[in-house]
Amino acid sequence: MEVQKEAQRIMTLSVWKMYHSRMQRGGLRLHRSLQLSLVMRSARELYLSAKVEALEPEVSLPPACPSDPRLHPPREVESTVETATADGEQPSPEPMDTQEAPTAEEIPAYSAPRPAKVSRKRRSSSLRDGGDAGLVPSKKARLEEKEEEEGLSSEVADRLQPPPAQAEGAFPNLARVLQRRFSGLLNCSPAAPPTAPPACEAKPACRPADSMLNVLVRTVVAF
Amino acid sequence: MRAGGGNDIQWCFSQVKGAVDDDVAEADIISTVEFNHSGELLATGDKGGRVVIFQQEQENKIQSHSRGEYNVYSTFQSHEPEFDYLKSLEIEEKINKIRWLPQKNAAQFLLSTNDKTIKLWKISERDKRPEGYNLKEEDGRYRDPTTVTTLRVPVFRPMDLMVEASPRRIFANAHTYHINSISINSDYETYLSADDLRINLWHLEITDRSFNIVDIKPANMEELTEVITAAEFHPNSCNTFVYSSSKGTIRLCDMRASALCDRHSKLFEEPEDPSNRSFFSEIISSISDVKFSHSGRYMMTRDYLSVKIWDLNMENRPVETYQVHEYLRSKLCSLYENDCIFDKFECCWNGSDSVVMTGSYNNFFRMFDRNTKRDITLEASRENNKPRTVLKPRKVCASGKRKKDEISVDSLDFNKKILHTAWHPKENIIAVATTNNLYIFQDKVN
Repeated sequence: MEVQKEAQRIMTLSVWKMYHSRMQRGGLRLHRSLQLSLVMRSARELYLSAKVEALEPEVSLPPACPSDPRLHPPREVESTVETATADGEQPSPEPMDTQEAPTAEEIPAYSAPRPAKVSRKRRSSSLRDGGDAGLVPSKKARLEEKEEEEGLSSEVADRLQPPPAQAEGAFPNLARVLQRRFSGLLNCSPAAPPTAPPACEAKPACRPADSMLNVLVRTVVAF
Repeated sequence: MRAGGGNDIQWCFSQVKGAVDDDVAEADIISTVEFNHSGELLATGDKGGRVVIFQQEQENKIQSHSRGEYNVYSTFQSHEPEFDYLKSLEIEEKINKIRWLPQKNAAQFLLSTNDKTIKLWKISERDKRPEGYNLKEEDGRYRDPTTVTTLRVPVFRPMDLMVEASPRRIFANAHTYHINSISINSDYETYLSADDLRINLWHLEITDRSFNIVDIKPANMEELTEVITAAEFHPNSCNTFVYSSSKGTIRLCDMRASALCDRHSKLFEEPEDPSNRSFFSEIISSISDVKFSHSGRYMMTRDYLSVKIWDLNMENRPVETYQVHEYLRSKLCSLYENDCIFDKFECCWNGSDSVVMTGSYNNFFRMFDRNTKRDITLEASRENNKPRTVLKPRKVCASGKRKKDEISVDSLDFNKKILHTAWHPKENIIAVATTNNLYIFQDKVN
């Protein structure tokens, strides 16, 4: 978990540095941008491998978790609030614990028939998934919800992990990478008002973080 | 090199140039330092686009306490800030590199470059002027012809020395990316300039075109994995040059092989030590400087933590590796946060290729003797600024108990970095640039 947090922190830091490097005199430095993207990629890989390790105990659990896109966004938002604030504040060690109260409220708002046990498992896994989906695509989510995902928006589909071979030696177009990674976040909060508000009311703090990330991504997209 | 007792040189403070106050004006930040081929002249470039040249005084033969001092010889504005309207980008005036041409006549020539434009400057002296014109007064006004009653021949009379710098050639519009290196060929007619993705070959007389000799730009920029970080011509073979990359590799190219040297003749790369693999491994392996030895047999590369000496005949690993500040390996995350991990340190050889030098943090610089395998850490500080004060070796305590006179890693000042150093081509005189001061040290003369 610590590793994941650290990796996420590094990713956020790298994005911030990329944004700042555009403001420098002399324009964007190719070498610097490349180095930042390498660090981001390493952080992402570390994050993913740490996540996979952490999720391994849960592989045996029933896969019957119907994907509800409306469920994902608030969780993404929540974990983003916790983990990916621009000033890199450390999230609480156990997001599950802090999430328990608000999430319990949310569930009735979206999908009624959900066993408590399943929802807890889902919450924890989808917290991570949700948290990831904005920053890194979720392998686990893909396995479980393959059918649903085909029906999802293209942005969500974009979040799926690119084939390793491509990711390995790639210097992804900056705008596209960050767009892919953060579009989930963007789409969830302000773009999905009908479904988001209940969750967001529960966590008003999510707003500032979203707008921050919005600004970041907008800036980067311009690049 | 002067032979003293043993091979240990005792370095003494000689001079320091630059403002004393701690408030550093950004324009005064030194960005390059270079001795000319004789060592008589020392040029510095700064972030404000200015070049300052120091000249060594002729040695006083009677009082040989020290070699001649370096005093300001010429100062001129080499580059100005520009604006690229097409890309809406400001082009910094910071001087990235200065390279001297060998002296052919009374004048001196150097190349200076910023991110986009290279300029050839002529520095010439004027110490006499003609006097006694028939038609002109001394101040230049024309005399009334009716007052001219005699004829005389104008004669040259001595005047106060005036050093003039004039731009003789401007090599522009050849680089899309930021120029990181220039290197003059041993034919003294051509030179190369390198940016992140391309290397161009110029003729010193021709400004309106250059040949592209290396192009590593991929067709799809998304596939970019490495950039060129430094390039240099071989000191003796005019067909050979090397360029280093952000991945820690060096490629040696032979211009006789083909017009476009995208395929290297030799690839120098050391396999990564898996035990050292970390999150930031890739970026600390980026080479920030590459320098051939004077002999041309070896080349030296500097990456973030080490200096490596390569034999041109052996591609699979360096022949020598020197750790500059290994204690920073555990601090890479913090150094990433404060951007220090991106610092580009340079390195240099002494005249006989027996000692190499490079900079570090806390205004420390390091020297490695290749023969004795001894190394020394010294500090460029105004505290030791009495002339002929012998510099005391410094030591950084990596962990555990700090001995007296040692400095702990956490007390190092990472804002005080020595990125640029230069060694006199013949003597034991070194120029070390801190942020905005230039220190000159020399070995103790008995």
